[in-house]
Amino acid sequence: MPAKSIVQEYIKGLWKENPVFRQLLGLCPTLAVTNAVINGIAMGLATSFVLIFSSIVVASIKKLIPSQVRIACYIVIIATFVTMADRFLQAFFPPISKSLGPYLPLIVVNCIILGRQEAFSSKNSVGRSLIDALGMSTGFIIALLILSSIREILGAGTFLGHQVMGAWFKPWIIMILPPGAFMTLGILLALALFIESKTKKKTVKRTV
Amino acid sequence: MSLSSRMIIVLTSVGIISGGFLASVGHLTKNRIALNKQMQIEEAIISVVPGTSSSQKLYEEKDFIIYAGKDNNGNLLGYAIYTSGTGFQDKIELMYGINPSLTIINCLTILEQKETPGLGAKITDKESFLKYWENRDSSGSLSLHKPASSSIEELSQAEINTITGATISSEKVLQIVNLSLEQLKSLKKDGKFGSEGKDAS
Repeated sequence: MPAKSIVQEYIKGLWKENPVFRQLLGLCPTLAVTNAVINGIAMGLATSFVLIFSSIVVASIKKLIPSQVRIACYIVIIATFVTMADRFLQAFFPPISKSLGPYLPLIVVNCIILGRQEAFSSKNSVGRSLIDALGMSTGFIIALLILSSIREILGAGTFLGHQVMGAWFKPWIIMILPPGAFMTLGILLALALFIESKTKKKTVKRTV
Repeated sequence: MSLSSRMIIVLTSVGIISGGFLASVGHLTKNRIALNKQMQIEEAIISVVPGTSSSQKLYEEKDFIIYAGKDNNGNLLGYAIYTSGTGFQDKIELMYGINPSLTIINCLTILEQKETPGLGAKITDKESFLKYWENRDSSGSLSLHKPASSSIEELSQAEINTITGATISSEKVLQIVNLSLEQLKSLKKDGKFGSEGKDAS
């Protein structure tokens, strides 16, 4: 594997390997909780917490774990951090914990986290794993933020609970319902692919 | 060391260490979480039985709890009834306040619901639904005014306005309340609670 600079390791999570738009991982929480910006942010932060700490732990004990039981070990480690995040939100931010509902404990099965442990942390140093986790987390938060902003503004006419659309605006209720999530994600994915194909052409031309 | 014993040792220690962390986090947050739940219930009691300064659980069974709301002097102001039932999509948990003789519902508040956002979820909205629950006659059972009426004057004392586009959610709330009213009245008849009402009169 060619060594990447620390900056590249971080940047790749934002766009080139963005977990939602490029890798299509973690779509269940992405679709389910992005009906309001505050939920998107909370889900993004909770997932980041779990991802960052599991990556550090997995990277630091990777040599001790026999490869036959590695997945089971990762899951136990991830589940521990998820439960900690869940209890913390229940204790200090009960309204957020309530609106995220079952999707908070379900971070355990979020493929971004297990995927990064298997694909990255189990093969790289603690430092690099941390940078990678930070990059992936930022990419995930950005994706949730875009999706939830579109859905909240069109579906409720508000942003973070503040009215942003005029009185003339009739909220598109469908946007805060599940179909709105699928439509928004579909359009965003198409957009991401479109941008990707454009930039690819440019670089090809340049090299020619 | 053989592979299998290494696997056992690693998995066991990962499990034990994680368990230890979880136990301590659970211990640290336990009181706070219980307090949050308690506070939510108390706030709800105060909102449905106005003037309550202390509350007391009188009777409890599955999905049905009676609280007594009392003022500073210990006079009974009314009962707050917690109850729940199936809504259009998921469980609806609610609380309503009723006077000591069980004839008037003060008001109603929804504690938990997962109805359709924008339609059924309007059951938590004061203007479209909850205001119609204020001061309803609960000596009989309540009924729904269909189709929705635009003015509160058109409704009789025992009628609740329907939410346009969310008839089922409105009906479900009504059913939950009516069911609990029956339960409440029969419990009072059996003398399961209500004796503490004497010092109020």
